[in-house]
Amino acid sequence: MRIVCPFCGERELGEFTYLGDAKPQRPAADAGEEAVYDYVYLRDNIAGVMNEHWYHGAGCRAWLKVTRNTLTHEISAVEPAAGAGAAKVGA
Amino acid sequence: MSNSAIPSSTIPMEGSSVAEFSWEVRSPLDRALVAGPYGAQGDAGVALTEIRNFDLVQVMARRGKASEMAQAAQARFGVAAPETPKSIGTSDATLIWSGPDQFFVLSKGGKHSIEALAPGFAGSASLSDQSHARALISISGMKARTMLAKLSSIDLHPDVFGVGAAAATSMDHTSVTLWRGQDRGGQAVFNLLVFATFAESLWHTVLDSAAEYGVTISHSEEL
Repeated sequence: MRIVCPFCGERELGEFTYLGDAKPQRPAADAGEEAVYDYVYLRDNIAGVMNEHWYHGAGCRAWLKVTRNTLTHEISAVEPAAGAGAAKVGA
Repeated sequence: MSNSAIPSSTIPMEGSSVAEFSWEVRSPLDRALVAGPYGAQGDAGVALTEIRNFDLVQVMARRGKASEMAQAAQARFGVAAPETPKSIGTSDATLIWSGPDQFFVLSKGGKHSIEALAPGFAGSASLSDQSHARALISISGMKARTMLAKLSSIDLHPDVFGVGAAAATSMDHTSVTLWRGQDRGGQAVFNLLVFATFAESLWHTVLDSAAEYGVTISHSEEL
Protein backbone atom coordinates (compact mmCIF):
# COMPACT_ATOMS: atom_id res chain seq x y z
CA MET A 1 0.00 0.00 0.00
CA ARG A 2 1.18 3.52 -0.78
CA ILE A 3 -0.17 6.88 0.32
CA VAL A 4 0.15 10.03 -1.76
CA CYS A 5 1.15 12.61 0.84
CA PRO A 6 -0.19 16.03 -0.22
CA PHE A 7 3.16 17.53 0.78
CA CYS A 8 5.71 14.85 -0.23
CA GLY A 9 4.08 12.84 -3.01
CA GLU A 10 3.70 9.07 -3.20
CA ARG A 11 5.39 7.21 -0.34
CA GLU A 12 5.52 3.66 0.96
CA LEU A 13 3.33 2.59 3.85
CA GLY A 14 6.32 2.20 6.19
CA GLU A 15 6.71 5.96 6.41
CA PHE A 16 3.22 6.35 7.90
CA THR A 17 1.59 5.50 11.20
CA TYR A 18 -2.12 4.73 11.49
CA LEU A 19 -4.08 6.57 14.13
CA GLY A 20 -7.67 5.52 13.46
CA ASP A 21 -11.12 6.85 12.63
CA ALA A 22 -11.06 10.55 11.78
CA LYS A 23 -14.77 11.01 12.51
CA PRO A 24 -14.95 11.35 16.33
CA GLN A 25 -14.95 14.97 17.43
CA ARG A 26 -13.98 15.99 20.94
CA PRO A 27 -17.24 16.83 22.74
CA ALA A 28 -17.79 20.18 24.39
CA ALA A 29 -16.58 20.49 27.98
CA ASP A 30 -20.15 20.34 29.31
CA ALA A 31 -21.34 17.56 26.99
CA GLY A 32 -21.58 14.99 29.75
CA GLU A 33 -20.02 11.65 30.61
CA GLU A 34 -21.79 9.65 27.93
CA ALA A 35 -20.55 11.85 25.10
CA VAL A 36 -16.97 11.65 26.41
CA TYR A 37 -17.24 7.87 26.78
CA ASP A 38 -18.47 7.63 23.21
CA TYR A 39 -15.65 9.87 21.97
CA VAL A 40 -12.89 8.00 23.81
CA TYR A 41 -14.00 4.37 23.50
CA LEU A 42 -16.73 3.68 20.95
CA ARG A 43 -15.73 3.09 17.34
CA ASP A 44 -17.62 1.92 14.28
CA ASN A 45 -16.12 -1.11 12.59
CA ILE A 46 -16.65 0.00 9.02
CA ALA A 47 -16.47 -2.44 6.13
CA GLY A 48 -16.12 0.02 3.29
CA VAL A 49 -15.11 3.64 2.83
CA MET A 50 -14.01 5.54 5.90
CA ASN A 51 -11.95 8.57 6.87
CA GLU A 52 -8.80 7.84 8.84
CA HIS A 53 -5.99 9.80 10.40
CA TRP A 54 -2.47 8.86 9.30
CA TYR A 55 0.80 10.40 10.43
CA HIS A 56 3.68 10.84 7.99
CA GLY A 57 6.23 10.39 10.76
CA ALA A 58 9.17 9.25 8.64
CA GLY A 59 8.60 12.04 6.15
CA CYS A 60 7.24 15.56 6.59
CA ARG A 61 5.65 14.74 9.98
CA ALA A 62 2.25 16.03 8.86
CA TRP A 63 -1.07 14.54 9.98
CA LEU A 64 -3.24 13.45 7.09
CA LYS A 65 -6.89 12.59 6.60
CA VAL A 66 -7.09 9.57 4.31
CA THR A 67 -10.30 8.27 2.73
CA ARG A 68 -9.79 4.53 2.41
CA ASN A 69 -11.92 1.53 1.57
CA THR A 70 -11.21 -1.02 4.30
CA LEU A 71 -12.31 -3.88 2.04
CA THR A 72 -10.07 -3.10 -0.94
CA HIS A 73 -7.47 -0.71 0.56
CA GLU A 74 -8.30 1.67 -2.25
CA ILE A 75 -7.46 5.23 -1.23
CA SER A 76 -9.74 7.79 -2.86
CA ALA A 77 -8.56 11.00 -1.16
CA VAL A 78 -5.74 12.32 1.02
CA GLU A 79 -5.77 15.76 2.55
CA PRO A 80 -3.93 17.53 5.37
CA ALA A 81 -5.61 17.06 8.72
CA ALA A 82 -6.66 20.18 10.58
CA GLY A 83 -3.50 21.76 11.92
CA ALA A 84 -1.11 20.07 9.51
CA GLY A 85 1.06 22.93 8.34
CA ALA A 86 0.79 25.97 10.56
CA ALA A 87 -0.52 28.04 7.66
CA LYS A 88 -3.62 25.88 7.37
CA VAL A 89 -4.87 26.94 10.78
CA GLY A 90 -5.93 30.41 11.83
CA ALA A 91 -4.80 31.92 8.53
CA MET B 1 34.18 0.37 41.02
CA SER B 2 37.94 0.19 41.62
CA ASN B 3 39.40 0.13 45.10
CA SER B 4 40.94 3.52 44.65
CA ALA B 5 37.62 5.24 44.03
CA ILE B 6 36.83 7.82 46.68
CA PRO B 7 33.43 7.38 48.30
CA SER B 8 31.32 10.15 46.93
CA SER B 9 30.37 11.39 50.38
CA THR B 10 33.96 12.49 50.97
CA ILE B 11 34.24 14.57 47.76
CA PRO B 12 33.88 18.24 48.60
CA MET B 13 31.16 19.53 46.29
CA GLU B 14 32.05 23.16 46.79
CA GLY B 15 35.38 24.44 45.59
CA SER B 16 38.12 23.17 43.34
CA SER B 17 37.80 19.39 43.85
CA VAL B 18 34.75 19.10 41.61
CA ALA B 19 35.80 17.78 38.22
CA GLU B 20 35.86 20.37 35.52
CA PHE B 21 34.44 19.19 32.23
CA SER B 22 35.64 20.41 28.91
CA TRP B 23 33.10 19.92 26.14
CA GLU B 24 34.71 19.33 22.81
CA VAL B 25 32.73 19.64 19.62
CA ARG B 26 33.24 16.55 17.52
CA SER B 27 31.42 14.86 14.71
CA PRO B 28 28.96 12.07 15.53
CA LEU B 29 30.89 10.09 12.89
CA ASP B 30 34.25 10.84 14.49
CA ARG B 31 34.63 7.22 15.55
CA ALA B 32 33.00 5.41 12.63
CA LEU B 33 34.51 7.33 9.74
CA VAL B 34 37.84 5.97 8.52
CA ALA B 35 39.15 8.07 5.66
CA GLY B 36 40.46 6.18 2.66
CA PRO B 37 39.28 3.36 0.41
CA TYR B 38 36.68 0.81 1.47
CA GLY B 39 35.13 -2.27 -0.10
CA ALA B 40 35.81 -3.44 -3.64
CA GLN B 41 39.19 -2.49 -5.05
CA GLY B 42 39.75 -0.52 -8.21
CA ASP B 43 38.04 2.69 -9.26
CA ALA B 44 35.65 3.67 -6.49
CA GLY B 45 32.02 3.81 -7.62
CA VAL B 46 30.85 5.78 -4.59
CA ALA B 47 32.41 8.75 -2.80
CA LEU B 48 31.25 9.44 0.76
CA THR B 49 32.21 12.76 2.30
CA GLU B 50 31.09 13.82 5.72
CA ILE B 51 30.69 17.60 5.97
CA ARG B 52 31.67 18.97 9.38
CA ASN B 53 31.29 22.25 11.22
CA PHE B 54 28.17 23.65 9.58
CA ASP B 55 25.42 25.89 10.87
CA LEU B 56 21.97 24.36 10.59
CA VAL B 57 18.82 26.11 11.75
CA GLN B 58 15.28 24.81 11.42
CA VAL B 59 12.71 27.52 10.71
CA MET B 60 9.05 26.66 11.37
CA ALA B 61 6.18 29.06 10.79
CA ARG B 62 4.10 29.93 13.81
CA ARG B 63 0.38 29.23 13.59
CA GLY B 64 -1.12 31.25 10.77
CA LYS B 65 2.17 33.08 10.11
CA ALA B 66 3.43 31.27 7.01
CA SER B 67 3.20 34.31 4.75
CA GLU B 68 5.03 36.48 7.31
CA MET B 69 7.73 33.81 7.53
CA ALA B 70 8.01 33.74 3.73
CA GLN B 71 8.45 37.52 3.68
CA ALA B 72 11.12 37.34 6.38
CA ALA B 73 12.96 34.64 4.41
CA GLN B 74 12.77 36.70 1.23
CA ALA B 75 14.18 39.72 3.08
CA ARG B 76 16.97 37.69 4.66
CA PHE B 77 18.08 35.52 1.75
CA GLY B 78 16.84 37.37 -1.33
CA VAL B 79 14.99 34.27 -2.54
CA ALA B 80 11.67 32.69 -1.71
CA ALA B 81 11.87 29.92 0.89
CA PRO B 82 10.97 26.48 -0.51
CA GLU B 83 7.25 25.69 -0.23
CA THR B 84 7.55 22.27 -1.84
CA PRO B 85 10.18 19.54 -1.41
CA LYS B 86 13.23 21.22 -2.93
CA SER B 87 16.43 22.99 -1.96
CA ILE B 88 17.33 26.52 -2.95
CA GLY B 89 20.92 27.73 -3.03
CA THR B 90 21.83 31.34 -2.27
CA SER B 91 25.31 32.85 -2.36
CA ASP B 92 26.03 31.84 1.23
CA ALA B 93 23.27 29.44 2.36
CA THR B 94 21.11 26.55 1.25
CA LEU B 95 17.42 26.51 2.14
CA ILE B 96 16.03 22.98 2.30
CA TRP B 97 12.35 22.13 2.62
CA SER B 98 11.73 19.90 5.65
CA GLY B 99 7.92 19.82 5.86
CA PRO B 100 4.88 22.06 5.38
CA ASP B 101 5.73 25.63 6.42
CA GLN B 102 9.22 24.73 7.57
CA PHE B 103 12.72 24.60 6.16
CA PHE B 104 16.37 24.27 7.10
CA VAL B 105 19.00 26.96 6.68
CA LEU B 106 22.37 25.32 6.03
CA SER B 107 25.42 27.59 6.05
CA LYS B 108 28.94 28.04 7.37
CA GLY B 109 30.89 30.53 9.41
CA GLY B 110 28.12 31.92 11.60
CA LYS B 111 26.58 34.36 9.13
CA HIS B 112 23.25 32.53 9.31
CA SER B 113 23.54 31.09 12.82
CA ILE B 114 20.44 30.99 15.00
CA GLU B 115 21.54 34.19 16.72
CA ALA B 116 21.90 35.94 13.37
CA LEU B 117 18.53 34.70 12.06
CA ALA B 118 16.45 35.23 15.19
CA PRO B 119 15.68 38.97 14.87
CA GLY B 120 14.42 38.66 11.28
CA PHE B 121 12.03 35.82 12.10
CA ALA B 122 10.82 37.18 15.45
CA GLY B 123 7.06 36.72 15.62
CA SER B 124 6.69 34.77 12.38
CA ALA B 125 8.66 31.57 12.96
CA SER B 126 10.18 29.42 15.66
CA LEU B 127 13.87 28.69 15.20
CA SER B 128 15.71 25.63 16.43
CA ASP B 129 19.49 25.21 16.24
CA GLN B 130 20.27 21.79 14.71
CA SER B 131 23.98 22.43 13.99
CA HIS B 132 25.15 19.77 16.43
CA ALA B 133 22.04 17.59 16.14
CA ARG B 134 22.61 16.28 12.62
CA ALA B 135 25.34 14.71 10.59
CA LEU B 136 25.71 15.72 6.95
CA ILE B 137 26.87 13.16 4.42
CA SER B 138 27.53 13.95 0.79
CA ILE B 139 27.24 11.02 -1.63
CA SER B 140 28.51 11.07 -5.20
CA GLY B 141 30.18 8.83 -7.75
CA MET B 142 29.12 6.73 -10.72
CA LYS B 143 27.25 4.27 -8.52
CA ALA B 144 25.77 6.73 -6.01
CA ARG B 145 22.20 6.40 -7.28
CA THR B 146 22.42 2.62 -7.65
CA MET B 147 23.67 2.38 -4.08
CA LEU B 148 20.97 4.71 -2.72
CA ALA B 149 18.29 2.69 -4.49
CA LYS B 150 18.99 -0.10 -1.99
CA LEU B 151 18.22 2.22 0.92
CA SER B 152 15.54 4.57 -0.34
CA SER B 153 12.12 4.10 -1.88
CA ILE B 154 12.38 7.52 -3.53
CA ASP B 155 12.83 7.56 -7.30
CA LEU B 156 16.20 9.30 -7.72
CA HIS B 157 16.31 9.13 -11.52
CA PRO B 158 17.48 12.52 -12.86
CA ASP B 159 14.19 12.93 -14.79
CA VAL B 160 12.33 12.90 -11.47
CA PHE B 161 14.89 13.95 -8.88
CA GLY B 162 16.89 16.69 -10.57
CA VAL B 163 19.33 19.20 -9.13
CA GLY B 164 17.58 20.97 -6.25
CA ALA B 165 15.05 18.20 -5.57
CA ALA B 166 14.60 17.36 -1.89
CA ALA B 167 12.72 14.83 0.22
CA ALA B 168 11.91 14.26 3.85
CA THR B 169 11.98 10.50 3.94
CA SER B 170 13.45 7.49 5.69
CA MET B 171 16.37 5.16 5.05
CA ASP B 172 16.80 1.98 7.01
CA HIS B 173 13.94 3.10 9.30
CA THR B 174 15.80 6.32 10.04
CA SER B 175 14.37 9.75 9.19
CA VAL B 176 16.57 11.68 6.81
CA THR B 177 16.50 14.84 4.77
CA LEU B 178 17.77 14.09 1.30
CA TRP B 179 18.46 16.59 -1.44
CA ARG B 180 20.38 16.78 -4.68
CA GLY B 181 23.06 19.47 -4.73
CA GLN B 182 24.86 20.97 -7.69
CA ASP B 183 26.53 18.36 -9.89
CA ARG B 184 30.26 17.99 -9.38
CA GLY B 185 32.51 16.79 -12.19
CA GLY B 186 29.42 15.94 -14.25
CA GLN B 187 28.09 13.66 -11.53
CA ALA B 188 25.06 13.91 -9.28
CA VAL B 189 25.66 14.81 -5.62
CA PHE B 190 23.17 13.60 -3.03
CA ASN B 191 23.24 15.20 0.41
CA LEU B 192 21.90 13.46 3.47
CA LEU B 193 21.07 14.99 6.85
CA VAL B 194 20.56 12.44 9.60
CA PHE B 195 19.99 12.75 13.35
CA ALA B 196 23.35 12.71 15.16
CA THR B 197 22.49 9.73 17.34
CA PHE B 198 21.44 7.69 14.28
CA ALA B 199 24.36 8.80 12.12
CA GLU B 200 26.73 5.97 13.01
CA SER B 201 24.08 3.33 12.38
CA LEU B 202 23.10 4.78 9.02
CA TRP B 203 26.77 5.28 8.13
CA HIS B 204 27.43 1.55 8.51
CA THR B 205 24.32 0.75 6.48
CA VAL B 206 25.50 3.07 3.71
CA LEU B 207 28.96 1.48 3.78
CA ASP B 208 27.47 -2.00 3.54
CA SER B 209 25.34 -0.86 0.61
CA ALA B 210 28.27 0.81 -1.18
CA ALA B 211 31.01 -1.76 -0.51
CA GLU B 212 30.45 -3.77 -3.68
CA TYR B 213 31.10 -0.69 -5.85
CA GLY B 214 34.23 0.43 -4.01
CA VAL B 215 34.11 3.52 -1.79
CA THR B 216 36.28 6.56 -1.20
CA ILE B 217 35.73 7.95 2.30
CA SER B 218 36.68 11.42 3.43
CA HIS B 219 35.53 14.36 5.50
CA SER B 220 35.51 18.01 4.66
CA GLU B 221 34.78 21.41 6.13
CA GLU B 222 33.45 22.69 2.81
CA LEU B 223 29.73 22.71 2.12
